[in-house]
Amino acid sequence: MEFLGYFGGVFELKSLLLLFGGTIGGLILGATPGLSPTMAVALLIPFTFHLTPTQGLILLGAAYTSTVAGGAVSAILLKIPGAPANIATALDGNEMAMRGEGARALQLSFLASGVGGVIGVLLLIFLTPVLAQWALQFGPSHLFWIAILGVTVIGSLDSKSFVKGLLSGCIGLWLSQIGYDEIQGTERFIFADALTGGIHIIPALIGLFAIPQVLDMLAKGRSKVAIETIEVPKYSFLDSLRELIASVRALSIGTVVGSIIGLIPGVGGQIAGLVAYDQSRKFSPQRDKYGTGHAEGVIAAESANNAMVGPSLVPLLTLSIPGSPTAAVLLGGLLIHGIFPGSDIFDKHPQVVWTFINSMLLGQILMVIFGIYTAAWAARIARVPMPIMAAGVLVLALFGSYSVQQSMGDVHIMLVMGIGMFVLEKFGFSAAPLVLGLILGPIAGDYFTNGWMIAAAQDGPWVYFFNGPLNLVLIAMVVASIAYSFWSNMLQGKARKADREAAQ
Amino acid sequence: MNSSRLQHLIPGLVIFGLAAIVTWLSFTQEPASSFLFPRIISIAFIGLAAWNLIRAASGLARVGAGISGAMFANIAPGLVVMLVYIFFAAKALGFYVASIIAFFAVYTLYDPAPYSSAKDWFKRALVTLAFMAIIYGLFARLLEVQTPRGFFI
Amino acid sequence: MKTYLKKALLSAGALALTATMAVAADYPERPIGVAVSYGAGGATDFQARIVTMVAGNEDILGQPIYIVNKPGAGGRKGWNWFATEAEADGYTMSAYNIPHFIAQSIKGGVKYSADSFEPIANWGADPAVIVVGKDSKFNTMADLIEYAKANPGKTTTSGAGLFVGHHIAALQIEKACSCKLAYIPTKGGGAAAMKAVIAGEVLAGVNNLSDAFRAREAGNVKILGVADLERNDFLKDVPTLKEAGLDVDNSSVNFRGLMVKKGTPPEIIEKLAKQVPLMFGHDRVAKRMKAGGSPMHIMSRDEVKAMWAKRQETLAELLKGL
Repeated sequence: MEFLGYFGGVFELKSLLLLFGGTIGGLILGATPGLSPTMAVALLIPFTFHLTPTQGLILLGAAYTSTVAGGAVSAILLKIPGAPANIATALDGNEMAMRGEGARALQLSFLASGVGGVIGVLLLIFLTPVLAQWALQFGPSHLFWIAILGVTVIGSLDSKSFVKGLLSGCIGLWLSQIGYDEIQGTERFIFADALTGGIHIIPALIGLFAIPQVLDMLAKGRSKVAIETIEVPKYSFLDSLRELIASVRALSIGTVVGSIIGLIPGVGGQIAGLVAYDQSRKFSPQRDKYGTGHAEGVIAAESANNAMVGPSLVPLLTLSIPGSPTAAVLLGGLLIHGIFPGSDIFDKHPQVVWTFINSMLLGQILMVIFGIYTAAWAARIARVPMPIMAAGVLVLALFGSYSVQQSMGDVHIMLVMGIGMFVLEKFGFSAAPLVLGLILGPIAGDYFTNGWMIAAAQDGPWVYFFNGPLNLVLIAMVVASIAYSFWSNMLQGKARKADREAAQ
Repeated sequence: MNSSRLQHLIPGLVIFGLAAIVTWLSFTQEPASSFLFPRIISIAFIGLAAWNLIRAASGLARVGAGISGAMFANIAPGLVVMLVYIFFAAKALGFYVASIIAFFAVYTLYDPAPYSSAKDWFKRALVTLAFMAIIYGLFARLLEVQTPRGFFI
Repeated sequence: MKTYLKKALLSAGALALTATMAVAADYPERPIGVAVSYGAGGATDFQARIVTMVAGNEDILGQPIYIVNKPGAGGRKGWNWFATEAEADGYTMSAYNIPHFIAQSIKGGVKYSADSFEPIANWGADPAVIVVGKDSKFNTMADLIEYAKANPGKTTTSGAGLFVGHHIAALQIEKACSCKLAYIPTKGGGAAAMKAVIAGEVLAGVNNLSDAFRAREAGNVKILGVADLERNDFLKDVPTLKEAGLDVDNSSVNFRGLMVKKGTPPEIIEKLAKQVPLMFGHDRVAKRMKAGGSPMHIMSRDEVKAMWAKRQETLAELLKGL
């Protein structure tokens, strides 16, 4: 309960102003396409030069939590996921917004983020020493198996056809191998100059989600029908709260999955949302509704995203090992002020660390309040006529994909992938498994190479990858997940056949 | 063989061809140590591509509506604007000028309001400038992203 | 017709000349970008952000410097981009890491070499150190070398990547002890290589002095040796590899600084070469760098040129036959 004593540090005028500023700024940055939380936090570091260490960290802590949640705004309203973390949110969230239920989707997403986020930070507060050792257990072989476990999700993720889902995933895995081999530095599959740098995930996300969306709008042509304005019903905060409580299953699955994945250094929060989405669908009696604008999908994805924030800082604060790119930027923010994380950081700099953690806790709550407040009018974007929406998303796609690395090559890749995905979608392939492959490919591939090299110096790859309790547990989970996919696919096939027969 | 089955066969064939190239490259490129993981992927890739192709050929893969002629006719003008905008104009004219033109072009091409009324043209111009002002404020002023320059800005 | 062409060419040339002169006089009139070839939060990124923070002061450049991260493949992605796509107008600089990009260009497969770039100034030098986990059975370099000799190719040693400073240090150690290590490049740079050591995935590691210093402060690692010519101020108790009996010089020391693309107008290079060291030497920069545990080493453009040439030579020698 030591952290309670340091709440005073947050409630000073300047700190409070920073907390407000960080939260609002973070929401705006997070909602901007092309700006991932990592970049947003990196952008804010120079501001902290003018502040004391404590104040600087209040700003960074509040911004980190709110950028992650802010990414949901563009995912829901524009179907442009702000960061890989928000992919799963876009799947159901955008469908809801298109129906005019944007306010409901946004409110649920912020509330779920808040619940997940607060629990994640509480884990950070109470279990740090225990969890730190746990986080260290994951070596290259385990991370490889975790990535493979993520790959097995592909078959069941948002696709109408099992084979095409898996095939989409394979295309994504292959695309991720283009460019330099991260470990050995050799070139692979470089067909065009723009590809030398590989495919950056954020321009790819913008292309894969936003461009097919734009083309779908254009496909409606110059007709009055396309222009019909959607009713945007008001959805009260209390209704959202009630609905959130009713969806306790999705909420708890999201929070648990997010916390666990956040802890594992090297996997990062990129897949927390997708895995939680998939798990909550598997356990839901209404699993057919996922992907058609089902609120549970948004709740599971967003609670996982923010639940990951707290635990992802455990390895950073206690071992000085940043578990995610954003944590690495935060490490920079700490170092600039002469604070070296380590197991004694809570004794050496209690004021700074606890104020930082407290600001994340308060940041979560403020983020919910601001988010809810803005949700009602942000949702009116669904009433924007189709031609304006299409033109606007196109312009945003250019600016978003360019600003990631200031490279025209990225922009070209974005459009080519987008048009390709539009065509593939028309033939039953889907973007979500492809993106999952694109994210997991480098993780699985690089840890495979890494483990292979260590194994070569030890007892060989067989022993290295298939021994030890943690490897075996993970392999068992992989096998179970594959078996489940095939089994449920068979059941679905039978059900469809029965439907057809009944119809005849 | 109806046209819908034929339409599904083409992507099936293209993807199978791609998978074959990827597999071939993975097993022939050097250094082999860099291609260990791509080899694993390529085996799954070509296997699934073959399965998909067989399903498409036998008419089992009916998921997805394909692309109709009417749909393509609707998309075509916007697609041309998109391609010129991204591959040429953005760099040649600068991001902001190119974006103003592209936004206005897409909006005009797909706006059902009549082209004869001056009021509607004025509205289109106004919306374009307002939207681009927001984009300029966000990217150039707030985030200070340096974009390729053209005329004026 | 011919005279027409000549005239046209001449006037075009004159126009271009006056244009560059005008450009140089006004330079810089908008913010300057620095491409960092490593991820946000890494040592290079973090230091680049600190040393450029006072660029906007009127007596330095009068325009702020912003950072663009282009991470990937040990820096190859970023420097390839810089050598091929960036404009040589002085508004895009890049951070360099020596010996990384020189070693990579010698090894081949990239689109740059030391001749593709013009150095501006150097801000820091971070020597490589040898680290082992806190519970490791190795307490000195001698222990480690003895084990490596008894178990050739089994001493797993992590580092940030292939053909970066850490790899060079490992190669030099192998050469000096005529033994065989198992160098393991990791995904995710120095931080991941350090994690592999702390978690016991590998027996030893080569890492940045600044990161190793912090890890030791946190009680996670032991530092066995520094790959430099002299002991470091941050680690007075740690012997150099030379003292430990290994003939390893300072070729692996990670020098960081700013460079522009070849073909940048000389007036702009001149102005930068004069102003950038002032920026690096600014009091506020020095204070922040010290707080962050990052050793500074400011060198002028001419000094850096000489250093690049020397590295080119020693690295070509070391990497011969690899």
